[in-house]
Amino acid sequence: MPVVKLQGIVKQYGNIKASDGVDLEVRNGEYLCLLGPTGAGKTTILRIISGLTKPDHGSVLFDGKPMDKVEPEDRRAVMLSQTYALFPQLTVAENILFGPDIRQYEEEVKERTLADMLDLVRLTHRPDAFPSELSGGMMQRTALARALASGASVLLLDEPLRALDARLRISLRHEVRSLAKSMGITTIHVTHDQDEALVMADRIAVIREGKVVQVGLPGEVFDNPATPFVANFVGQSNFFVGEVEEKKESTSIRGDSGQVVLARPCEQRLGEKVVVGVKVGNTEVHKEGEGYFDGTVERILFEGRNIYLDVDVPGLGRYSSKIPSWRLGRLSVGDRVKINWSADKATVFTMPPEGLEKELRVE
Amino acid sequence: MLMSRLERATEFVSKPVVRKLWTVSFIVFFLCFVIVPTLFVLTYAFTNWGLIQDEVIQDPEIMSQIWTAIGNSFEIAAIVTIIDILVGLPMAWILVRKKFRGKELLDTLIDMPLAVPTAALGFSAAIFWGITPADLTNPLGLKIVSSPFILIILLHIIFSYPYMVRSLAAILEQIDQTFETAGQTLGASKLTAVRTITLPLFRAGLVTGIILCFARSLSETGGTVAALATISNVDFNTAPTLIDSLKSTPALAFTSIVLIILALVLLVIVAIIVKKVHIPFRKVWPRPEKILSRGLSPKLKDATSVLFLVFIVLIPSFFVFTFVFTSEPSTTADWSEFGQSLINSFFIAGVVTVIDLAFGIPLALYIAKNRSKWLPETLDILVNVPLIVPTVALGFSLKLFWTGGTPVTGPFAIFLVMLAHIAFTYPLMVRNVTGAVEEIDPTYEETARTLGAKPVQGFRRVLFPMIKASILAGAIMAFTRSLGETGATRAISTTVLTAPNYIVNLIKLDNDYYTAALACIIVIVISFGLMLALRYLTRRRKGAI
Amino acid sequence: MPEVSLKNITMRFGKVVAVDEVDLTIHDGEYVTILGPSGCGKTTLIRVIAGILEPTQGEVHIAGKSMKGVPIEERDLGYVFQNIALFPHMTVKMNAAYGPTVKDRPMEEREQTARKYLEMVKLLDKMSMFPSELCGGEQQKASLARALATGAKLLLLDEPLSALDARVRVDLRYELRRITKNLGLTVVHVTHDQEEAMSVSDRIVVMRAGGIVESGTPEQLYTRPRDVFTANFVGETNLLEGWVKERHEGGSWIELRDNSVIMVESCDPQVGEAVVVSVRPEFVFPFTDGLLSRIEYLTYLGTFSRVSARSQSDDLVEFDVPSIEGKLYHPGQEVHLMFNRKAAVVYPRPIEGVSEAVKLE
Repeated sequence: MPVVKLQGIVKQYGNIKASDGVDLEVRNGEYLCLLGPTGAGKTTILRIISGLTKPDHGSVLFDGKPMDKVEPEDRRAVMLSQTYALFPQLTVAENILFGPDIRQYEEEVKERTLADMLDLVRLTHRPDAFPSELSGGMMQRTALARALASGASVLLLDEPLRALDARLRISLRHEVRSLAKSMGITTIHVTHDQDEALVMADRIAVIREGKVVQVGLPGEVFDNPATPFVANFVGQSNFFVGEVEEKKESTSIRGDSGQVVLARPCEQRLGEKVVVGVKVGNTEVHKEGEGYFDGTVERILFEGRNIYLDVDVPGLGRYSSKIPSWRLGRLSVGDRVKINWSADKATVFTMPPEGLEKELRVE
Repeated sequence: MLMSRLERATEFVSKPVVRKLWTVSFIVFFLCFVIVPTLFVLTYAFTNWGLIQDEVIQDPEIMSQIWTAIGNSFEIAAIVTIIDILVGLPMAWILVRKKFRGKELLDTLIDMPLAVPTAALGFSAAIFWGITPADLTNPLGLKIVSSPFILIILLHIIFSYPYMVRSLAAILEQIDQTFETAGQTLGASKLTAVRTITLPLFRAGLVTGIILCFARSLSETGGTVAALATISNVDFNTAPTLIDSLKSTPALAFTSIVLIILALVLLVIVAIIVKKVHIPFRKVWPRPEKILSRGLSPKLKDATSVLFLVFIVLIPSFFVFTFVFTSEPSTTADWSEFGQSLINSFFIAGVVTVIDLAFGIPLALYIAKNRSKWLPETLDILVNVPLIVPTVALGFSLKLFWTGGTPVTGPFAIFLVMLAHIAFTYPLMVRNVTGAVEEIDPTYEETARTLGAKPVQGFRRVLFPMIKASILAGAIMAFTRSLGETGATRAISTTVLTAPNYIVNLIKLDNDYYTAALACIIVIVISFGLMLALRYLTRRRKGAI
Repeated sequence: MPEVSLKNITMRFGKVVAVDEVDLTIHDGEYVTILGPSGCGKTTLIRVIAGILEPTQGEVHIAGKSMKGVPIEERDLGYVFQNIALFPHMTVKMNAAYGPTVKDRPMEEREQTARKYLEMVKLLDKMSMFPSELCGGEQQKASLARALATGAKLLLLDEPLSALDARVRVDLRYELRRITKNLGLTVVHVTHDQEEAMSVSDRIVVMRAGGIVESGTPEQLYTRPRDVFTANFVGETNLLEGWVKERHEGGSWIELRDNSVIMVESCDPQVGEAVVVSVRPEFVFPFTDGLLSRIEYLTYLGTFSRVSARSQSDDLVEFDVPSIEGKLYHPGQEVHLMFNRKAAVVYPRPIEGVSEAVKLE
């Protein structure tokens, strides 16, 4: 299975830079998620890897070999689109065998491939159905089987779960990943859903406005975000703006209104204007005890497993905290509470040049 | 590694060089065999300006004849188009938005005038509406129209009506009904919602409908000649009938040139106006519009539309059937000649359709898949030109291009007639296939490519099955159009006998109405049979996908 | 007086029964979400309320008045569509002003109303733009402003957030609730997303295959669902199959397939009945003693990791551990699992089998 490498990919459509200097390496057999908001350029990258779109600059390499002269049908990088694109006049079995038919495998090989695939995606009972007769989940599995049966070495998934119901998506995440991993195929999965990326990926590449902002293990991207955007896009974060006051085992940051908060050790210099980011799951809310500042509970949102507490802190805005439902205890709307977090859970970022609000904007 | 012949062919065809060559060849075909000959007559203005000046412009009698005829044509076309819009819109609505039993039947009925060659239509309409001379025993006709102007308008409405309804219906289908529903949830009555939301979104369809209708009326020769001959009128002329009767080349050229330029200019202006004009809807009349939206009014509107279809379009078209039963058989008919003319017509139509398929599909694919590049876009616009140019002028221009004006006979004449028919049926094929391909999500073929299929394999296995029905529709449209064409054929050579020509001759030269009617019926039945085949095949496609 | 009352509503399309004898009452000022998988009939139901569909059987009453024969435009409600349906040839402001315009209100009033609601959704600076120039979330906000500008007191939302990115959905749903509560509107919101439903609703109505399964507050449906389908659909849960061994007030014993026994606090079914026990992953703990299970895989979920194990009783059991502790567990390892007996809910085992009963499509 090849190592897929993108070097300096640039693609412009009119005024919009869909890809603005993308460098990326996907390892052999890896399941990489390309995560970013709609319009970030994720689908463009997938199309460039598959050869359906030619980049303005830059190159795509499979195992070190440049692919610019290689047509899509020869790259063995199969694309699974959001709408599945199942050929409507072919049955499930005929769809799945499309690749093997084109490549003219022998009959026994084709039969075996079909049986294996139907078994793998649990569709053994529906080989003669037409796509119009299938449910959403079944269509998705058929499309996946078709892609895997084609003998491709790279699997390109363009938001493969987007068209499905929320609850169904959660069930299928594990299944899709297992299927890809069982074949050992190098997979690049594009999504806007950070939960999906965290669950399914070996590594996550966060994309925004045509640029790769951070690449790393899910744990790294979640706990050590590189920018405030990543901190808020992969999991939600609270932010505190101030200047670096002291740098010891942890960093002290002083805000405009005088509060001081702690964060991890950082590279920024003393006096520099910075933004501190803390995940909502790591933001503690107590009625008594220590805290950086006080606020009033504005809203308590029950979301099943978790509860979101929105606390209004005068002068600083809203701070959210995500806690497991059973830990709500005696907190209610209107209570005066203290906001706290441990220093090692807070990250220091340089103040973004266009301002924090623009940095965090998702659309 | 052994490669089968098919594999090797596929490999060869997929080479970029071969693909480029293929693209170039059909573009060259299009330009050399369709566009240039169609517009060639315009160059006559430069090469023979002196001749035109002497023989035409200096001759007041001919000039007045020409301008009167052109004036008649444009007036008739304008009136016909406006009427078509007014009655076509409600009918398009019924077709697209309403569900009822018998809708399939209505759908078929609307297309029926397309199946009837215009010469037959002209005759049939004339004996239905018109006051005919004494030697034409016609007990059942309405006999209320004596003015040739009105008769021609009524005739032209018949065969332009399907074009308008189809164009409007096509756009209406693409407009999401949710917009109207949203308007209603916001408090608008059905009529208000349609007027303020859907109609403004309609413009593209309206422009297409207007252009097709207007051009069709402007072009029409066979039916007009037949109708005028049936009511024994020799003074009235439309531009095509005038061209049909003129003999001198400069006069012919001049008339054709003026016709073409005026048509092109007018239609460009219409396209711009309709696209730019903003119908403000600031004013809303809630109460009256609410009343009109419910109860009796919509039902009345629908009933009127259907009645119009039946009485103004269908009955006059098929009146010729009753004529045959109520009048005396003629004894002078030469049926072998008729048989030969039928064979000629079918032969020409057949060859024309095959060539349209072979060269039209590639052009359509090229245009549909390369929407953003300048060459395909330009070709897309040029494809419509032969549809706008009146076919009789087109025929003349083509003859001028290939022969320089000398008369032609024999097989070469038939060949030229074929070229002429290709010129105005080719756009129909291309438009049909382009439209069908554009409706299909490109993701299908792209997925096929990433699954290992070369572009030609992707076309064969994925795209072609999806557009098969539209290709067939285009083929049958081209075939029936060629079958029914009169003007272009006569412009090239009056010796080539096609079935419509035969019918026109029977009426104009022999006054043999009975045989003409019989011939009409035979041609109608055959064409109608083909139309039914089209309906059956396209219905099957809707079931499979 | 209840704002919306549906009595015995049935909707048939040919042979397909989309909605099957549904009774539903929505009170004035209530925010109710109809939640269910695709094809359950929720969209059909909301269209019946709006008048877009006339029910095959049954009656719709809005504010006490029967809606029989009343066309859409006279029902005085706001409707937000899944595919947004902003009029493409009109600016955002003209879209917002459409409601007052078709009632022929004076020009200044149209202008004022449009501005007022566009400001509420924070789109005032985009009012001269056309819908195609806005991004997804902004389009949906404009669509909301347009529906609100009619002044209707009943708002129907047809999967309003489904077409949007996950992150945008989260931000927008709080706004939906905040704005509608501020205006005192009655809201019927249709969705397939249970997280969305729980975060915005006063009450959730769960639908499946044309019928209502149950209805309750988000907390009720999450902690004590009355139907096993709800238990699996609203949030995730572990389902263990067994029989009631002993039944007492305050504690009952359920015997699982491998004869191991777990204790639950409340149990309705009788002794000997076949049952299925639902316990959510956050209420399952690894311990020194308990149901023996073998770990199959781990799933990283950000602040915590979910461990999936197969128990000796051949049930799939998942439990959560803080992410830092994730390293302590690996596939193949054996653990003992304890279940929080208060959080466990016992249901009679469905005749068609558990997997059929909780099937999502």
